[in-house]
Amino acid sequence: MTLNVNQLVAELPDEAQLDDSPQRALQDLIAKLSHKPVPVGAFSRLWALGTLQAKVGAAYLVHWIRSSYADADEKQRQLNETHLKAAVKVLGSMSYLRGAIMKIGQALAAYPNLLPDQFVDMLSALHFEAPPMHYSLLREFVRKELGSDPEEVFESFDTKAFAAASLGQVHRARLKSGEVVAVKIQYPNIARTIQSDFRNMMALLSPMRLQREWDSLRDQWHDICQMLEWETDYEREASFLKRARAAFREEDDIVIPKVYDEYSTKRVLTMEYLDGVHLEDYLKTNPSQEERDRFGTLIMRSSFRIAHTAKIWYSDGHPGNYIFMKDGRMGVIDFGCCRVFSDDEWAYYKEVGVTFLQGKEAYRETMIHTHGFDPDNPRDAENIKFIEEMGDWYCGYLLHEGPFDFSDPAFLRRGIELMGEIPKRGFYRALPVDTWISRHLIGLRSIAFRLQARVDMKRLSEEEQLVVD
Amino acid sequence: MIGSMRISAGMKAKTHARIVEVARNLFQDKGFDVTTTRDIAAAAKIATGTLFNYFSSKEALGMAIVAESLRAGHDDYEARRRGLESLDEDLFLLIACCLRCIEPCRNYVAPVIEAAMSPFAQSRLCPEADEFRAQHMERVADCLSRHDFAMDSSFVAMHLYWTLYLGVLGFWSRDESPQQEDTLALLDQSMRLFVASLSDNHARLEVSRDA
Repeated sequence: MTLNVNQLVAELPDEAQLDDSPQRALQDLIAKLSHKPVPVGAFSRLWALGTLQAKVGAAYLVHWIRSSYADADEKQRQLNETHLKAAVKVLGSMSYLRGAIMKIGQALAAYPNLLPDQFVDMLSALHFEAPPMHYSLLREFVRKELGSDPEEVFESFDTKAFAAASLGQVHRARLKSGEVVAVKIQYPNIARTIQSDFRNMMALLSPMRLQREWDSLRDQWHDICQMLEWETDYEREASFLKRARAAFREEDDIVIPKVYDEYSTKRVLTMEYLDGVHLEDYLKTNPSQEERDRFGTLIMRSSFRIAHTAKIWYSDGHPGNYIFMKDGRMGVIDFGCCRVFSDDEWAYYKEVGVTFLQGKEAYRETMIHTHGFDPDNPRDAENIKFIEEMGDWYCGYLLHEGPFDFSDPAFLRRGIELMGEIPKRGFYRALPVDTWISRHLIGLRSIAFRLQARVDMKRLSEEEQLVVD
Repeated sequence: MIGSMRISAGMKAKTHARIVEVARNLFQDKGFDVTTTRDIAAAAKIATGTLFNYFSSKEALGMAIVAESLRAGHDDYEARRRGLESLDEDLFLLIACCLRCIEPCRNYVAPVIEAAMSPFAQSRLCPEADEFRAQHMERVADCLSRHDFAMDSSFVAMHLYWTLYLGVLGFWSRDESPQQEDTLALLDQSMRLFVASLSDNHARLEVSRDA
């Protein structure tokens, strides 16, 4: 079933009730304040929900959950409505998710035919946001984490953040030994607040008896909590940075920032500062095709190397994670949401690549065996066909001779469509690594598409030993 | 005569300092509630009655110790202020500096605040608390005026500030979160809310003036 934006807005339950909520009162107050001589810009930005995009995003979630108990009896339906309204209010009060909800709304406004499952998958892929920290707060936090004020710990410290991070912000500083560093600082208490809110949310939803859909919702929520736990553990991120950094040599022209342990904790991460720009700004310099191809190759190489040598998997290839450095190197940052392949996952990942190159039959046999499909079962047969299509999209370029042109929009669109199918078909639960791989590849190929890059993927994969016999 | 007065004043200051010192140690080691004025007098080697020549009660003595540290926080605030802060940051800084300076008193700050600075405390019982409050609110007024707000524009807002201030102090005294990060978040959000309430009042006044 597909919906348009107007239908989605109409799905938002009992809007009058939501508008009378304390959040609405606060929003009105903030709206009034916007005309006053008080610096509440950040506060206002943080709390002001109510745009069409945000409403659409929230409405989509409501629609999805509501549709899950359409066949329930009237009493159960009323009970569910009550829980649902309470849950939506909780969701609406989660200021750190508002940006995410708005992004979903924006995406839905552009692509109203997205399915509920895709929406949920998008939600789990989005990052959390924290209120901006002023310097006085940051100074107290750094003092507690590192033992002294930033101006004492560092030779110099920029009081203004140069980048936002998930649940925090990043400041440029100089160590007393002279190195320029990026210091990522987490907003105090935010991780525990979110975990607590999520527990409340699940408690509110648990009596709804959504059967199969409930399991899916619970699993998605669990995934979000897991990601949150990872993203807020900077010590974990530091260990990934070190592991990935060790996989590159100087001549690779790919840089993973060095971690400075003595200036890092679980919630403060001090890394080498990489001087460069992100994709959007890089494209504004109108680079030549040759430069685009070169950077495209570096991005793809970094992805192969991080996966195959460091055995780490990125959750998504977000453009913000790549720095086009002034000296021509490619910087890869933000290892907050990574995971290490288990032995089984690595074996599966390798097997997919090997059998794909061996031919369609071998690949098909592997997939049937891995997923336990019965080719004689019509539904399984459909899934096998789908997986073969996935394989073509994932690995097809390994068979392509010469530079593969990522600028073809049809290629990217097909990948997005296929990714949307994964949760719908339900078999991704058996192999969670598929979700991670898909998300990463979509992100990576989106960047290559925007770069309009041509990359010899076959040669690159051979160089990076994509297929290890 | 002049010489003996000088000695007397000096002796008095020394005794005052000694009382404060031993009381600080006793509050820290034994706890505020358990420590009696008799314990303090004994440790300071003075008669219990003499103690009351210096402090009217144990609460007043506790408040004097805490207030001294809080005043050091005021000085710290002046030294740290860059002049670039927004209003909410400025107020955050003021309180954060106070918290830094009362860190050594953390074990007994809660009962002292409860006894001497609570909104329900009777002011006559603890002039030290009234004095500190007046000094602190003067800093707040200075801070507000630097950001174009008049101190006397709303007693409600000022009372709200004081309530938030005491709330943060009380919360901090029992905050067991890692590195007391919850206090930082609470202080940040509290000051943002206070500034928002100020703005609202400011707007109302402007509207009524226009009308």
